[in-house]
Amino acid sequence: MVDKIKVKDLSCYYNKKCVLESLSINIAQNEILSIIGPANSGKTTFLRTLNRMNDLDVTYSRTGKVYLVGDNIFDMNMENLRKRIGMLFAMPIPLPVSIYENIIYAPKRLGLISKKSEQDAIVEQALKDASLWNEVKDRLSSSAMKLSGGQQQRLCIARILAINPEVILFDEPCSGLDPISTAKVEESMIELKQRYTIVLVTNNVKQASRVSSRTAFFLMGKLVEIDKTDRLFVSPKEKRTEDYITGRFG
Amino acid sequence: MRKIIDNVIEAVIFMCGILSIVFVVLIFGFLFKEGFSFFKDFGIIKFITGQFWYPTSDTASFGILPLIIGSVLVTVGACIIAVPIGIMSALYISEIVPKGVRDVLKSLVELMAAIPSIVIGFVGMVTLVPFVRTLFDIPTGLTAFSGSIMLAFMAMPTIVTISEDAIRSVPWQYKEGALALGATEWQTMRRIVLKAAMPGIIAAIMLGIGRVIGETMAVMMITGNSARIPHSIFEPVRTMTAVIASEMGETVSGGIHYRALFAIALVLFIVTFIVNFIADLFLGKNKNK
Repeated sequence: MVDKIKVKDLSCYYNKKCVLESLSINIAQNEILSIIGPANSGKTTFLRTLNRMNDLDVTYSRTGKVYLVGDNIFDMNMENLRKRIGMLFAMPIPLPVSIYENIIYAPKRLGLISKKSEQDAIVEQALKDASLWNEVKDRLSSSAMKLSGGQQQRLCIARILAINPEVILFDEPCSGLDPISTAKVEESMIELKQRYTIVLVTNNVKQASRVSSRTAFFLMGKLVEIDKTDRLFVSPKEKRTEDYITGRFG
Repeated sequence: MRKIIDNVIEAVIFMCGILSIVFVVLIFGFLFKEGFSFFKDFGIIKFITGQFWYPTSDTASFGILPLIIGSVLVTVGACIIAVPIGIMSALYISEIVPKGVRDVLKSLVELMAAIPSIVIGFVGMVTLVPFVRTLFDIPTGLTAFSGSIMLAFMAMPTIVTISEDAIRSVPWQYKEGALALGATEWQTMRRIVLKAAMPGIIAAIMLGIGRVIGETMAVMMITGNSARIPHSIFEPVRTMTAVIASEMGETVSGGIHYRALFAIALVLFIVTFIVNFIADLFLGKNKNK
C-alpha cells in the first residue's frame, strides 16, 4: 500500500497546553481511516491540523512534520493544501447561495473552469458522486439553505468533490443526522474510497466499524492503538481500546 | 391586589409604548396640516419643480428644486465617501484586527457618533473649507463638496457599527467552510462574509443616509447656503434642512412663508421615512434568516 500521508512526531498545543502528543501515523492511499476516542482525545485537532484549519487559531501551535506524498504540508501554500485536502465539518454548512453556486464556488475561485458548459458538467458529476443529483436536479437554482440536514451534508460532500482533492477529512459528519441520512452519507463514503483517501473522525464506534479499513484509537492526546478495523474491533491489543469500543467508558 | 398592580403596570407600559407612535402621528398630522394649506395656496407641482426660492420678494416664489438638488448632492456625495470607507473599516474591525485593538477601535468609532454636529461643522469650517478653496482654486470653499466630506464623517460611525455587527453575526462556520475549500481570506470575505452580511450592511447604509439627509447644523455652516441650482459639486448649495433652520425665525406665524417651510419639512419627513422604512425592511430580513 502506498502511503498518502505520513505524520512524524506531531505535537499540538492550545495556549501551550498539549492536546496531541508526539503522534506518528501513516495513512494509506484509498483507505478509510477512522479515528475514534472520547472527547478531548485530540482527534479533531489532528484532523484540523491536516488541512491547517487550526492555523486560524492564534492560541494554537505545533511541532513535528506532516508529509502529503513527499511535501511537508506546513511549507505548502495554504490554499493549495486545502485544494488537495478537503474537509467536511460536523455541521453541514452550505454557503448562503443556490445549490448550483455552492458547488461551483470553489472551482471558480481556484480557476479550475473557464466555460459555462464545463460548469454544468462539474456540478452534475459532483452531485451524482455525492448521490444527491436525483433529489435536487430540478431545483439547482434554489437556495441551499432549503435542503434537509442530510441533503445539506451531501451537498457539502459534492462541493468538496468538485475541486477533486486527493484526501477528504470527515469531522463527525453524521453527528447531526438521522439514521437514514447517515446511511446515505456512509454509502457515498465507501463509494468515494475508490478515488480518494478518507480520514474519518467519529464518535460513533459502530460507524467506524461499518465503513473504515483501519481504525485508530486516541485517548488523552495519544494514539493508543491502530489496526485493521476488523482486527481492532474483534481482538484489540490494549485493554483501554477494548473498554472504549465495548462502551465501558467514554 | 397583585392582580391590580399587574394591570396598572401593564397599562403604564402600554402607554409608554404607544406614546412614541402617537408622537409620530401627531407630528406628521401637524406637518401635513400646515403643508397642505400651503399647497392649496401655491400648488404642489410649482413647489417641487420651481427653480427659484425667493420667499421674501414682492412676488414670492417658493420653488424648492434648488434645495432638493442641494440636499441630494450633499447626501450622495457623503455616501460615495462614507459607504466604501465605512464598509472597509467594518470589515477591518471585525475580521482582521486583533481582538484587543478591535474593542478600542470600536469604541472610538462609537465615540465619533457622539460628536455634536455643530462641532463637526465648526471644525470643518476652520480647517476643511480653506483647504478646499486653495486646493481647487475656487472662489469659496463653502461648497457641496466640503459639506459631503463633513457629513461623511457623521454617517460613518452609523455605517461602521451597524455593518460591523452584521459582519460579525455571520456564522464562523461559513468562513471555515469557504476556507476549507481553498478560498483565500480575501475571497472568503468578499464572496461569503460580505454577501451573508449584505442585508445588515444595506440597513446600515440607509440609516447613515437618514442621518445625513436630516443633518442641519454642519451643512448650514459649510455648504455656503446659496439657494441656486448648482452646476457642480464645487459650488455652494443650500439644503432643505438649512432653509428651515435659518428662515423659521424670520417668518410670520401662519403666513405663506411659514407654511412653505412646513411643506419643506413634510417633504423631508417623507424622504427620511422612506429611507428608514427601507432600512427596517433589510434589518428584518437579516433577523429572519
